[in-house]
Amino acid sequence: MTPFEVKDCALLGRMSGLPPAFNLRELRERIAVCGENVLFHHFCETTLRGTFDNPDYRNDFAVWSKLYLGDRVVAERLGILDPYSFPSLGELRAATLDVLDERLGESTMIPWARPGDEFFFLESTTIVFDAGIRFTQPSRLAAFIRKMTNGSVYYHFLEARRRPPLGVDDFTAWLKEDEEANRPYIQALASVDFYFHTLPHLRHELGRVLTEAKVSK
Amino acid sequence: MSATLSAYEGIVGSAVIRQLRRLGEKLKGTRIVHVNSTREGGGVAEILEWMTPLMTELGLNASWEVIHGSGRFFEVTKSIHNGLQGHSVPITGKDWKVYEDVNARNFERLRPALEEADIVVVHDPQPAPLLKLCERRKGKWIWRAHIDISRPFRPAWKVLRTFVEKYDASIFSMAEFAQPLPHPQYLVPPSIDPLSEKNRDMSPEEIEAVRNGFGLDPSRPLLVQISRFDRFKDPVGVIEAYRMVRKVAKVQLVLAGGGASDDPEGTAILEEVMEAAGSDPDIHVLLLPPDSHRTVNALQRLATIILQKSTREGFGLTVTEGMWKGKPVIGGDVGGIRLQVVPHHTGFLVNTPEGAAHRIRYLLHHQEGIERMGTTAREFVRENFLLTRHIREYLTLMLVTLRDPRANFIQV
Repeated sequence: MTPFEVKDCALLGRMSGLPPAFNLRELRERIAVCGENVLFHHFCETTLRGTFDNPDYRNDFAVWSKLYLGDRVVAERLGILDPYSFPSLGELRAATLDVLDERLGESTMIPWARPGDEFFFLESTTIVFDAGIRFTQPSRLAAFIRKMTNGSVYYHFLEARRRPPLGVDDFTAWLKEDEEANRPYIQALASVDFYFHTLPHLRHELGRVLTEAKVSK
Repeated sequence: MSATLSAYEGIVGSAVIRQLRRLGEKLKGTRIVHVNSTREGGGVAEILEWMTPLMTELGLNASWEVIHGSGRFFEVTKSIHNGLQGHSVPITGKDWKVYEDVNARNFERLRPALEEADIVVVHDPQPAPLLKLCERRKGKWIWRAHIDISRPFRPAWKVLRTFVEKYDASIFSMAEFAQPLPHPQYLVPPSIDPLSEKNRDMSPEEIEAVRNGFGLDPSRPLLVQISRFDRFKDPVGVIEAYRMVRKVAKVQLVLAGGGASDDPEGTAILEEVMEAAGSDPDIHVLLLPPDSHRTVNALQRLATIILQKSTREGFGLTVTEGMWKGKPVIGGDVGGIRLQVVPHHTGFLVNTPEGAAHRIRYLLHHQEGIERMGTTAREFVRENFLLTRHIREYLTLMLVTLRDPRANFIQV
């Protein structure tokens, strides 16, 4: 196997330049035109941001709809959208707009947020750098993951799905160099329902399932 | 004296420290100059006190400069500060002249460092005109706003904006605080140093000594608000809330804070607070010297509940400090307090003295909630609001600023 090169990443949030949304219709209008980086930020990068580690929903649109619009119906519908299950951000955007259009069609009054509670559209710059760690044995993957930063876990297990091969995390892509021998590990990684984990929990869970796979192997 | 990076490994883990060292390698030798207006008192000075040596340890050539000004200058900058936070304050042309003149005098003293720096970070409005004066600057200039300027008094912001808009980037603690500007606006919440005198562990004996020193009763609940005597911190509202709770529970209240050399209003507010407290022996109003970090640390540890009933707030580092001591916080529903206090998880957000009184009573009746929220609060701070996260974001910001300020993805 070629050595696995551990990368790390750090995120820096910034204002996107879009005007904030005060109500559900404005949210819909902004999402329709925002850059894909903005969409990705609010759906996927929340895990790397300093936010409370146990929100009801894993994307910012759902959290805002619940907390500041008081619309639990649209919050629930947005909250179940799993961004990693869409082949592209364009399709994620289309699905999000479908949810919002459906709700706007049902509503007799457009829910508004009070001043100060508007939705701010953000994006991020991600800096990726070499963590200086290499390993070659799949059996040591669990131990190395346990020592990784949140940034490394995010980059290799979540952000990787945006890069070719699309939809595949870096650990799995590496293990597939010897797919037959590493099948228990690959299956273990595939069993993790990662979307609802915080990064510390995800690190713990990856370590756990890989250790169990090692034992059963 | 600040701790070295390795001292934080026991708190945040070695991987986090290793990550900082790797990022630091990418910026080795970069000349960073921080500029603010006070060496002690207030959250900005506290942040720079640890940030400068830790950046140096990471290989950057970091320094911290302070502008000096007259009493009149700080009265003007306090008015600007209040205006940016939304107070309608008259700032005359003469006032702005004082503001610019003092900055011009400071610029002459700081000129060599500012002209040669790769990155200059100017903190808050007081030194903002330095950029305009530094015509032969070589590096990138970043304006760091620590305060909430989401709804400023327009005449104040209109003038200040002319100084700020020429910067290469600005930093705000939260998206809500940002104003439209023609450069990238980054978001970096502040943080606390878990090993500083104000936050490090203390022996039970030392904590008890502080309790005894202030005559606090160990058998009764203690409410503590630590903050400057500043109208936006609503100390009089805290006393109102305390009086409502006192009708049903024999609580004690500590309102403790220091003055800062750039805050001339503090004395007047303190007098208002003393008058509101009257002769109640269970209200302890403490004006602490700027170096009372251990005392503040002990008071936060002695608290049953931490209060921060601000009506306007930048970030609210005293909230972070209280949470780090494992205490639930009842905070004003404003600014950065909202980032930290998550209702029913780490405390409660309130809008009125009545709301504060209600939540104090709620917690006094749910002792297990005090324990649970306190534990959650501490872990929340460990993950999000310690200085290691803060330094990482500054290093990232510097790399981004020096390479491509509007890039989405940078490999270094």
